[in-house]
Amino acid sequence: MTDRTNQPPSPSSLSRRAFLKGGVVASLTGAAVAGPNGTESVSVTRESAIATSLKGKVAVTLEINGAARDVSVEPRTTLLGALRDHLEPALTGTKLVCDGGNCGACTVLIDGAPVASCMTLALDAVGHNIRTIEGLGKPDDLSVVQEAFCAEDGLMCGFCTPGFVMAITAELESNPRATLDELKNSCAGNLCRCGTYPQIFDAAVRAARGASK
Amino acid sequence: MSTTPQQNADELAWPAPEKRRSIGKDTRRIDGPAKVTGMARYSHDVRLPGMVYARFVTCALPAAAIELDLTAALAVPGVVEVVRVVGDSTLYLGQPIAAVTAETPEAAAEGARAVAVTLTELPWAVTAEQSLAPDAPKVNPRGNIGRERTQEEGDIEAGFAASDAIVEATYTIPIQHHSCLETHGMVVDYRGGDSAVIHGSVQGTFALLDGPPDSLGLDASMVEGDVQHMGGGFGSKFGIGIEGKIACEIAKRLGRPVHLMMDRETEFHASGNRSGNSVTIKAGASKDGVIQALVADSNKLGGLSGGSYAGLPYVYSVANFSSTSRSVYTNTDGNRAFRAPGHPQASFGMESLIDELAYAIGKDLVEMRLANLPDDEQHSVWRRQLRRVADEIGWNEHPYKSAPGPHKVEGGREYVEGIGFGISVWGGGGYPSCEVEARVDREGSLIVSVGVQDLGTGSRTLVAMVAADEFGLEVHQVTARIGNTRFGNGVMSGGSVTTASLAPAVKDASNKMRAALIALVATNTGKDASALSFADGGVIVGDGLRVSWRDACALCPAGGLTTHGVFQKALQSSGVHGAQAARVRIDLVTGEVKVLKMVAIHDMGIALNPMAVRSQIQGAMVQAVSYALFEERLIDADLGIALNPNFESYRLANVHSIPEMTVIIDDEDGRGVIGIGEPPAIPGIGAIAGAIQNACGVRVRDMPLSPTKILIGLEELRRS
Repeated sequence: MTDRTNQPPSPSSLSRRAFLKGGVVASLTGAAVAGPNGTESVSVTRESAIATSLKGKVAVTLEINGAARDVSVEPRTTLLGALRDHLEPALTGTKLVCDGGNCGACTVLIDGAPVASCMTLALDAVGHNIRTIEGLGKPDDLSVVQEAFCAEDGLMCGFCTPGFVMAITAELESNPRATLDELKNSCAGNLCRCGTYPQIFDAAVRAARGASK
Repeated sequence: MSTTPQQNADELAWPAPEKRRSIGKDTRRIDGPAKVTGMARYSHDVRLPGMVYARFVTCALPAAAIELDLTAALAVPGVVEVVRVVGDSTLYLGQPIAAVTAETPEAAAEGARAVAVTLTELPWAVTAEQSLAPDAPKVNPRGNIGRERTQEEGDIEAGFAASDAIVEATYTIPIQHHSCLETHGMVVDYRGGDSAVIHGSVQGTFALLDGPPDSLGLDASMVEGDVQHMGGGFGSKFGIGIEGKIACEIAKRLGRPVHLMMDRETEFHASGNRSGNSVTIKAGASKDGVIQALVADSNKLGGLSGGSYAGLPYVYSVANFSSTSRSVYTNTDGNRAFRAPGHPQASFGMESLIDELAYAIGKDLVEMRLANLPDDEQHSVWRRQLRRVADEIGWNEHPYKSAPGPHKVEGGREYVEGIGFGISVWGGGGYPSCEVEARVDREGSLIVSVGVQDLGTGSRTLVAMVAADEFGLEVHQVTARIGNTRFGNGVMSGGSVTTASLAPAVKDASNKMRAALIALVATNTGKDASALSFADGGVIVGDGLRVSWRDACALCPAGGLTTHGVFQKALQSSGVHGAQAARVRIDLVTGEVKVLKMVAIHDMGIALNPMAVRSQIQGAMVQAVSYALFEERLIDADLGIALNPNFESYRLANVHSIPEMTVIIDDEDGRGVIGIGEPPAIPGIGAIAGAIQNACGVRVRDMPLSPTKILIGLEELRRS
């Protein structure tokens, strides 16, 4: 018999992200954020961010789908957490699945590039252009990629779908004549447990044809 | 006004293929637009005023006495409460021991880290060897070995005497995780008072009424369960689980809505799995390929539960056999149903054995299988299906039919291709369960309601398709309302029973509505109802009459018309077959396996939505690739700690693992609808394992089929 106190640290708990989520901001420099009362814009340095953040919540403005959205976050709050749990009303189209950058379900576009929002701190997204699944089409006015997913049955349970749609959208926006291999690579970080990959490939190719018209 | 007219209701039968208007045609999911835009609301997505977030703390050892100090956790800003959810000690690795509830998910996570846990390690067993050791701790109070079951037929000794070759081998397959992308859990909307709404990620809507009313201390009639969309179940989400029970208890105490969805690591530990299996087989065959005798002995490894195993000789016909299986218990969470429970495990052992026997006597792999599938009504379907997939995968042109390909690089050829086969059996019939309401109002809305859930199989779409077909309406003209306990009873999605239980009841309700509308028009026009029928577009025609859908509906009373449908046995059937083939490419230098192509043929009576059926079958093949090549739960046998409870080290197939796929929906055999969710998940792993041996001679008898194991096998062949 041996006594063990608490759980053994897992390797992932030593990652940069876990370190940051624990409450220390190491990388924020000069981002413009709204003041604690949500009205006044202040310039935050690395030092002042640490000083502010250690006290708790910071009111920031995120540019999401073309709109300025005020939200109170902590330094440890991920962009995914800000979208799903702190915005009012919340944007829950982006999904939390692995919470470790392994599955792509939380993919959003930051300045056009796909990123795992579970691995991005909300404060790091300040001042950048954020696009989520809600920023593409609407159910009665789908984007080319969304329409292609519906046409090719590129979804079953649908939980991975927003991530795949965002990853393929990012590829086609920067590379409208993407080949099948390029499209596959664009979502190589996304997992689908229902196994809809073949239909997703068909949808991506269909969207590429539509996008390059 | 509720009417259930019997007069004029046509005899219930699916229309002939040429008369089908919606069913039998590739049809888009009606909830597709909601899912691709992020508008579909899953349980994870429910946000309510005053909602708190709960999270589990789990045990890092397979068995331990637990002491908790909650002081630090309770002091974390935002933490609302922390409760112990276990008795004095734990029974399985990763068992929840405390639940932390906080105002935000971040505070709940910090609170969970702040719970001071002192574990006093108790004796445990996490492998079959540990559990079966003479001094093993008692995992199960009644013993570490469950009841042994044996099936026997014929004269085994005589069978071996008639054999020209005998193979003895042990095949093992590890525990597999369901890996639902939406984790298990629920949001309990209780704010004090006498009612509650429960949003749960479950594969049976009405499971939400089984337990929660008691936990909440509410009358069951005051509790509403809701499953609008759910992110994968695969057999692991039949009940509400400990997570549902604890969520209700927290909500009851706090009088606030509670969001308790498992974090990913807890999901790996405590939400079920596909049981592992180890089977030792001795079998003999005569030169004509007939298996003369087979003796199989298997251990089912289902953690604290019994595990599942379909038994050998699986679907093949063997005159003399004995198949024994028993459960071996370990201190890990119990297995649950997982897409064709017990079948992939049995199929892997049996198909592997057939390959090995075929090579031992120098027999073509397809001919070998045909030799053990008699030409009777049941087995002849597999004979036909097997030949079809063999043709489609390129078996006729394949060079290695009765002996494997090369294990050495010859003439600079580093790659070699092989082909393998598997066959499957399943039930998939329906039973009385679904209660469907069809409702038409004066404005022309047709609303079909039933409480059944849609796991992503397309049940919601199917409801609309079956109803639309009855009236000649477009699918989008029907509103299908499902996934709520306020609607009529729905079947749980398990055993591939949903389609065959649901579609007949929808058809029944629609058929009655059709008769009711025709009777209404007949009464109002003085025509004979028997002369009237629905043409395309929902138009009622006959006897010189032509009444549009809207005009007919306008005749309804103020309350509209309502009909109710129940299960109709004649509209469904049961018992399906299937065959799959896989072509793989082996890199003889690195041992890397690439599945190049898979072909599947499955029968299912009427394929109501062929597009959804193809998606099901392709998805099952993707899961087979994943299971065969990558998936394996790893626990350190010395330390008892989980090694891969995350998607970084528990590998799933990704975009680069996907072969070319051909799905053949077997020609209609005139039967009614049958479910097809599970059977295509059966034959793939045996086919892939067989293809590897066929390519290079290496028989990996221990899943997953990793490059390391193949390289070791290649090296052994080169030395021998």
